[in-house]
Amino acid sequence: MLGSYHGVLQTLFRAGVIRGSSFAGIEYYQGLTAHGVINALVLTTFFAVALGHALVSQELQEPLTIFGSTLSMVVMLLGAAMAAAAILAGKATVLYTFYPPLKAHPAFYLGLAIFIVGSWVALYCWIPAYLRWRKNNPGKKTPLAVVGMFAAFIIWQIATLPVAFEVLVLLVPWSLGWTSGVNVVLSRTLFWFFGHPLVYFWLLPTYVLYYTMLPRLAGGKLYSDFAGRMTFVSLIVLSSPLGLHHQFADPGISSSWKGIQGALTLLIAVPSMLTAFTLAASLEFAARQNGGRGLFAWWKKVPYFDRERWLFPYLFCGLVIFLFGGITGIVNASYSMDNIVHNTAWLPAHFHLTVAGPVFLGILGMSLFLITGLLKKPVVSQSMALAIPYVWMAGTFIFSGGLFLGGLRGEPRRTNLGLTYMNPASPSYRPDWWITTHVGMVGGLIMGTAILLYFVVLIRSLVAAPVAVRAGEPLIPLSEAYHDENIPAVRNFAPWVTVAVLLVVLAYYVPISDILKSKFKPAPGYHPDSPVVAGITR
Amino acid sequence: MATSESSGSQINSIEKRVVLAAILFAAGCMAMLAYGTWGLGITVPTCVPDAKNFDHGSVAKLANKNYELHYLASMWKFEPTRVLVPAGSTLDIYVTSKDVTHGLQILGTNVNLMAVPGAITSSRVHFDKPGVYTIVCHEYCGAAHQNMSAAIEVSDKVADISAEGLAELGEGRKIAEDQGCLACHSLDGSTGIGPTFKGLWGQTVQLTDGTPRKVDEAFVREKIQNPDSNHVKGFEPVMPKLPITDEEIKQIEEFLKGLQ
Repeated sequence: MLGSYHGVLQTLFRAGVIRGSSFAGIEYYQGLTAHGVINALVLTTFFAVALGHALVSQELQEPLTIFGSTLSMVVMLLGAAMAAAAILAGKATVLYTFYPPLKAHPAFYLGLAIFIVGSWVALYCWIPAYLRWRKNNPGKKTPLAVVGMFAAFIIWQIATLPVAFEVLVLLVPWSLGWTSGVNVVLSRTLFWFFGHPLVYFWLLPTYVLYYTMLPRLAGGKLYSDFAGRMTFVSLIVLSSPLGLHHQFADPGISSSWKGIQGALTLLIAVPSMLTAFTLAASLEFAARQNGGRGLFAWWKKVPYFDRERWLFPYLFCGLVIFLFGGITGIVNASYSMDNIVHNTAWLPAHFHLTVAGPVFLGILGMSLFLITGLLKKPVVSQSMALAIPYVWMAGTFIFSGGLFLGGLRGEPRRTNLGLTYMNPASPSYRPDWWITTHVGMVGGLIMGTAILLYFVVLIRSLVAAPVAVRAGEPLIPLSEAYHDENIPAVRNFAPWVTVAVLLVVLAYYVPISDILKSKFKPAPGYHPDSPVVAGITR
Repeated sequence: MATSESSGSQINSIEKRVVLAAILFAAGCMAMLAYGTWGLGITVPTCVPDAKNFDHGSVAKLANKNYELHYLASMWKFEPTRVLVPAGSTLDIYVTSKDVTHGLQILGTNVNLMAVPGAITSSRVHFDKPGVYTIVCHEYCGAAHQNMSAAIEVSDKVADISAEGLAELGEGRKIAEDQGCLACHSLDGSTGIGPTFKGLWGQTVQLTDGTPRKVDEAFVREKIQNPDSNHVKGFEPVMPKLPITDEEIKQIEEFLKGLQ
């Protein structure tokens, strides 16, 4: 709730409707930090852990240690609370990327580190269960949902190591005053070493829902089990050696290596395109089972508005949004095109079509599904629950449309436009940004409306009387596969993880050694509200 | 249509074609980018190993209508704030930051750079069309980030470059540079052969004979005119005698006062 409130507020500030540095006691950049950290780091990770617990225990039928899963939840809550306290106290207004030399209170960095360690504990709970299952089920294919969740967390484990180093070794001592400076170029590189695979950690749980739940919800089967496994293992390999594409405009890194990692980024479009095909084929299979005919007319037989299957549009609308998210992602990765879009409003427009598209809709829908399923509550009301993804989709398209166009006109991201660029009294006033910022605001307000509706449904469902659940049905009904191939190459994690690690070393060894050899001068810290070096009293 | 198929160990042929199509698409994108980079010469910033760190903005003429601009980004302005160049100019832009990470984008061009303290980012841009090109800082850099912008004006009515918003270097600073004082006395707080000038004014230093002395007008004058006096503890007595006039000493004092 807190995260979404701040999201809507951003659009009001940027359109110049609010022309101040703060609103209701929260300063613009503080709210932006809260929005990013809560929605993009905390919410997504909690959901991935929860979905993992649910799917791994259901599919493997092996008990997970209560101690382990409770420990992971407690540690994650503790870390999130520490970081949130620092942000709300105004001592961590550094945005979710926390680029040094802007310096936050140590509790912010420590809280994030603790939070991430808590999420590792969840993975470590599942591994013994999985190994037991393998022993008891020799020769059987690991359930696809488990492969997907493991892939997500393997990516997460690889990705979080560099940022854990950045936070614990570089930033925490610096924020405590034990070291006097931090290597900014190295910090940025370590962060984005983490920051790209982060988005695949966000995406994979939703891909799991797409491959394992969507076909059944549509009334059919998954077109190809192999496609799911292939996608999951190729994302393990391709997600990490790409971080430099977030640093195309940075100093200290050669354009050759930026180009190499940029080219690798284009390859990662391949598993997603395979996914798009497979899901479309699965939907077609389902539609034709239900009477769909013709080359395109079968699309009419997809259950867009079936109240009983209210979860379907969360997944389907996510896919539609992701089409545009993916295309604009290809633009961002395209090296030279980044010169036009880097750090403009185009970028949040892109990622609100990815993390705030399929990922967020998956989180919303599946959270409602799991909460009502576990607590044996009805969904009140199914019609409203069904409508929410459509409202959200309309909102995101309008919001991102405004920000894409605005970004191409030069609107910067992460900027309180209302104070200057969108303030007629300011010499920087840009009247040509009026329409795009206001379109963005309208979109943001629609998105906020969808969130309000969601909480109405959630709360009404939670307070409703419990209902009986049909015995014998699993909590999460998963699809069967139409093509259920047995391709040995995608049935073992070990070779793919090995290749992933090798590729990461190959892609990052030279850039990082270049940075270390360049001996960039360590930078002292600054608080966001003062141009004087933090900690020097004069 | 069959309700289910176990296709054994064969990948479905349609899938193979889809994966191939996807790979070809990715390859096509890479080919277009290769053309953009090597054919059209559009690149992103790369290492500039021979660029020296700078701590103030400047503009310099390299040749007719060829200029070198050093932008210093700081909380919360760009130095220079406004540059006027003739139409048809080529500008080599170098940017760094004095404090935190900033961004520098010249709207309407391909110049999109991160200004990182301790490192230099560079790009070349050519301006044919007259007009005012806004520069924005697009990386959050603190509370007044939204105030941070600059401009490049391109005009067909001027023949040479001019710039506004450059810091007044001041005579004292120039003397310190010319006379070589900065070879031993740093400006950024780091200790060299001599103590740093940053924050030196008004400090009390310990001499080798134990007496404390305040760094004021009298002390500075004595040290410059007779460097072999007043040896400060912890530093070698190697300061040379330099031909600095009284007037210049006054300007050096002003300069030191400003370096708190």
